[in-house]
Amino acid sequence: MTLTWPDLATVVVSGMLLGALYGLMSYGLGLIYGVMKIVNLAHGAMLTLGAYGTLWLYTNYHIDPLLSIPLTAVGGFVIGVLLEISLVKRIRQAPPISSLLLLFGVWLVVKNVLYLSFGGDDQSILTSYTFERLDIGIPVGLTRLLVFGISLLCFGGLQYLLHHTYPGRAIRAVAQDSVAAALAGINVDRVSAMTFGLGSALAAIAGSLMALIYSFNPEFGGSFLLKSFCVVVLGGLESTIGILLGGFVLGLAESMSVVVLPASFQDLVSFVLLVAILVIRPPRTGQKP
Amino acid sequence: MFRLCCAVLALSIGCAAPAPTGPALTLGAAIPLSGKHAKAGKFFKQGYELAIEEKNEQGGVLLSEGVRLPVRLFLYDDKSDAATAVSLIERLVAVDKVNALLSGYSTPLIQAQVVVPEKYGVPYLNAGGASKPIFKPTNRWIFGLLTTVEKLAETTMDWLALEQDAKRLPRPTRIALVWQNSDHGREYRSGVQGALRRYGDRFDLAMDEGFEHLAKDHTALLIKVKAVEADVFLSDAHEPDYVLQHRAYVEQGLNHKVVSYGARGPEGSVRRALGEHVNYNIAAQWWSPSLPYAQSKLFLESFRNAYHQAPTEYYPALAYEGARTIMAAVEIAGSVERDAIREALASLELRDSLIPGERIYFPAENRYQIDNTCLIVQNKPGGGVDIIYPPNVATGEAIVPRPVR
Repeated sequence: MTLTWPDLATVVVSGMLLGALYGLMSYGLGLIYGVMKIVNLAHGAMLTLGAYGTLWLYTNYHIDPLLSIPLTAVGGFVIGVLLEISLVKRIRQAPPISSLLLLFGVWLVVKNVLYLSFGGDDQSILTSYTFERLDIGIPVGLTRLLVFGISLLCFGGLQYLLHHTYPGRAIRAVAQDSVAAALAGINVDRVSAMTFGLGSALAAIAGSLMALIYSFNPEFGGSFLLKSFCVVVLGGLESTIGILLGGFVLGLAESMSVVVLPASFQDLVSFVLLVAILVIRPPRTGQKP
Repeated sequence: MFRLCCAVLALSIGCAAPAPTGPALTLGAAIPLSGKHAKAGKFFKQGYELAIEEKNEQGGVLLSEGVRLPVRLFLYDDKSDAATAVSLIERLVAVDKVNALLSGYSTPLIQAQVVVPEKYGVPYLNAGGASKPIFKPTNRWIFGLLTTVEKLAETTMDWLALEQDAKRLPRPTRIALVWQNSDHGREYRSGVQGALRRYGDRFDLAMDEGFEHLAKDHTALLIKVKAVEADVFLSDAHEPDYVLQHRAYVEQGLNHKVVSYGARGPEGSVRRALGEHVNYNIAAQWWSPSLPYAQSKLFLESFRNAYHQAPTEYYPALAYEGARTIMAAVEIAGSVERDAIREALASLELRDSLIPGERIYFPAENRYQIDNTCLIVQNKPGGGVDIIYPPNVATGEAIVPRPVR
């Protein structure tokens, strides 16, 4: 078997497109960890809710998945804020195991609510553009290209929010030192709620877009949560640009590995990368988001 | 103490069982009525209940001249969870003291369950898992109604050979084989490799590679598939992988003469995910509602009358046939004793079955797993599905090569 240059270019491009998706689904996880030092195990639940929200809007109101993104984002934000105010806030000062268990419990609740509401069948969304592709010398799926664009847009928006707005600066201040931020007059509770909401909204956006590509069931978020952990660790835990780059590195590594190794090694590549980074460059906290 | 624990466990997980009233043949099953396999579990429940209702309408199982026993079914929801499934099977055996066990669903759950009937010596009729590891070399109590995954692959290869004979495929035919890295996938691969040895130089395996279940992108794998320029693309994939892989397949503009995703193909959910791109894909199946057997049509009619819907997948048919098989074994044994039922199953030879081949038997040399051939079906435009192999049950012509899109 010999791969031609266009074949290799296709593999590289598919790795980049996958990387952008990985970045998008990990921004929220990194943001919440950066500000609140909480590993959000309910992140997978928000990805899944985003996908089911999109399906529900598409099936019942014929709203195109792309148009439903603002709605799922708002829904994700509201759910995130409510979750923070009603549950997470109560255990913010508790040992990390408390938040891990609490958010794992939230994930289980969401999963079971979805089982009861939608059943366990695999669901998917077929739109008029699902199979559309652009030929730019190599074939590229339109939906993947859209996911790539929206991931970069979200990255840009997040960067703008964090660096050029008052709420963003407040988030960064709390991420660096919550006590100092409180002394400077920043309402840490409000910032935490907003951060959790924002992280959840980003996960919901990712979920909406993933519904365009993947079939999904209530267990959907689980395997992507593991990938998000890899991306966040690769990217440096708290840096948005690091997360985007981490996504690209992981996406490219997975795609390129298939050229030289059997495809069944794809997951192994991710987790070897994760272990290698943890050993060679242990993550530091306190970086800028 | 053990019984108390089982009873408490059963109460805590909300099961439902019939109240014991008089002597009866008692059958039990732990099936997934909730969780990720709930759809299949519901079909299994319908199949079991239909078969038992029909038997009870006849007065029950006939043990000897004029002696009939009603059939009572204990059904519990294992919530698609292996640990729960095992606990419930223990309960069925030790507390409910069922005479025989009916199948659960999905290979991993059944693999967990079968330890219990082996330990206690209870006949278990497996109609929901085909994987070989379910049937251990020491197996005595597990009887398999689904033919092996290897057989699915072998039947696919037999059909390909027939297409070669009809000059619709070149000789040798180049095959690109990819398989999910799981027991299912490895058995499918083994079936293809076995057939390749049997057919000698008629086929050429151009690619043979595993992929991860729930992979996030199949594009790179499909680029390799494209590079080997095969005539036939065979992939053994579960539904989420099938959907993602075939979307990437279409995106990359691949077009083989034959495309198959193992046992996946005609499901409504796949058609909803892939639309017309699913047309002309072929699949190996354990049963199809299109089977022209009179008994299969009779089952379809009874099922429609009972549940006001038509089964689109094999689950209810195999569940129905599993319950009928156990009841037939009891009638042959003339006893509800577990040992007697086991002996009857081991030497069983039923004709007029509604599964492909119309014959039910459990050969000891195959570890009591049935060895019938299976069906090859092809999706047709407009939502139709034709059986294209074996020829004696074919309902339509195979379209080979697939029309170029």
